Amino acid sequence: MAVSSIAAQSIGILGYGETVYKKKSDSTLIALLADAARRALASAGLTKNDIDGIAVCSFELPPDNAVTLAEQFGISVSWAYLGTAGGAGPVASVINAIRAVEAGDAKTVLCLAADNYDVGGHFKLMDYFNKALINYGTPNGFGGANGLFGIIQRKHMETYGTRREDLGRIAVGQRASARLNENALLRGPLSIEDYMNARIIADPIRLYDCVLPCPGAEAVVVGALDRAPRGKAVKVLSGYERHNHPAGEIAPLRGGWELFRDRLWGDAGFGPADMQFVQAYDDYPIMVAIQLEDLGFCAKGEVSRFLAERTMQFDGSFPVNTNGGQLSCGQAGAAGGMIGLVEAVRQLRGEAGAFQTPGACRGVVSGYGMVGYGHGLSTSAVVLETAE
Amino acid sequence: MSSEKAPYPQPREDQDNAAFLRRWREDGKILLQKARGGKPFFYPRPMDPETWSTELEEVVAEGRGHVVSYSSIARPNDPAFNDETPIVLAEIALVEGATLLARIVGDNRDQVASGDAVEVPSAEIARRYPLPVFVLAEKSTA
Repeated sequence: MAVSSIAAQSIGILGYGETVYKKKSDSTLIALLADAARRALASAGLTKNDIDGIAVCSFELPPDNAVTLAEQFGISVSWAYLGTAGGAGPVASVINAIRAVEAGDAKTVLCLAADNYDVGGHFKLMDYFNKALINYGTPNGFGGANGLFGIIQRKHMETYGTRREDLGRIAVGQRASARLNENALLRGPLSIEDYMNARIIADPIRLYDCVLPCPGAEAVVVGALDRAPRGKAVKVLSGYERHNHPAGEIAPLRGGWELFRDRLWGDAGFGPADMQFVQAYDDYPIMVAIQLEDLGFCAKGEVSRFLAERTMQFDGSFPVNTNGGQLSCGQAGAAGGMIGLVEAVRQLRGEAGAFQTPGACRGVVSGYGMVGYGHGLSTSAVVLETAE
Repeated sequence: MSSEKAPYPQPREDQDNAAFLRRWREDGKILLQKARGGKPFFYPRPMDPETWSTELEEVVAEGRGHVVSYSSIARPNDPAFNDETPIVLAEIALVEGATLLARIVGDNRDQVASGDAVEVPSAEIARRYPLPVFVLAEKSTA
């Protein structure tokens, strides 16, 4: 699914919102969603009554869904979307919301992502994530995503000579940004030595390769660009999603991004070198690295050297996940798939404050998720630009 | 600590996987499926994922293969595995061509390397586990 050239110039993101991130929950999932929604509407200069479309991504929401959330919120909608693509879902939901607005199915869509759990809740989630994992992962004591991504990281290291000290530059760079972000849960100093010598979780995955599961919510508002506060609209120049590529591989070193990369950049009219930042889904540094390869920032297998020559903090030579990302802010379940999108919009509106990337007017946001039998099945990406 | 070992979480048996689960449980054999002229696949499905053929043949795997990659898990999800760390979880390529995720068990499992030959242990050992496990073939200490 793509964003049309007409929509790219007229429909986009009007506002964003994010809850305060906490280590332990003191509210309900609905309360988190409502908090992010309220903040996003305020940022867009709109009110609840403007909303006529709703999209939500959340692992813990079922048996509720987008329609019952509309009931909770007391809004009547003509378009409702429930994400199914895990951490790739929120970016995909925005692509779908833009199409809904373009088609006239809705005028203003509230796109939400949230979860309300902690470390124990995350383990349970992974054990019962889907049929293949319940039957053929969990009975192996598979260690959740850590065990699976350890297999992928080792394969990447052994296939391409990828070095941990280069992957660690992602975690260290993001932490340097997070130190200036009051909403990041992990704000202590982090050096390459800390990263290299951290406790083993699922070798070669160590502690600072992993995210901290936490409660939280993220939201954006999609609608006609001319409805945004002056100077605050963000264009979605292009966007694609792809699921279950490559089919049939357990631990592939590539994902769906490689199939739509050329169209993503072609539709946008810009290439990787034109981006001032990358917000890539960071469940693990190895997956950020694979996204950089598949999106064309460097050739397949060359990401280690690419990272070694760059600095990833918000004001570095190659800003990645400029608010600290999930690795430093925490992973609020499915909201982990929207934290980069919200951060991109914040940057493009010039509202990132202490961690504002200088001159940010264009960037790419990449999604990844829905772990199946061995790896994430879903990928998505959008190219964003500050509207004139 | 308790001497009673917590039971492993079990696969949910249904029509798609009953024959596979039973064959492992009873004989320590890995039962694969394949469409006529097709390639054996794992995990069990009601149809060949490549051709969508529902006319599937059963292939009893030899129980030999090699390690493609692996992780060595210090922190398993389910507490039933806490006394067995590290859990070595590997992508195994069987000689029949199918790949699967499986544990490598045995006291020498920490000597595993990618490329190592592996084989299914005796039925007596295999029976302790709900899903196929392997031991290192050349480094086996039994």
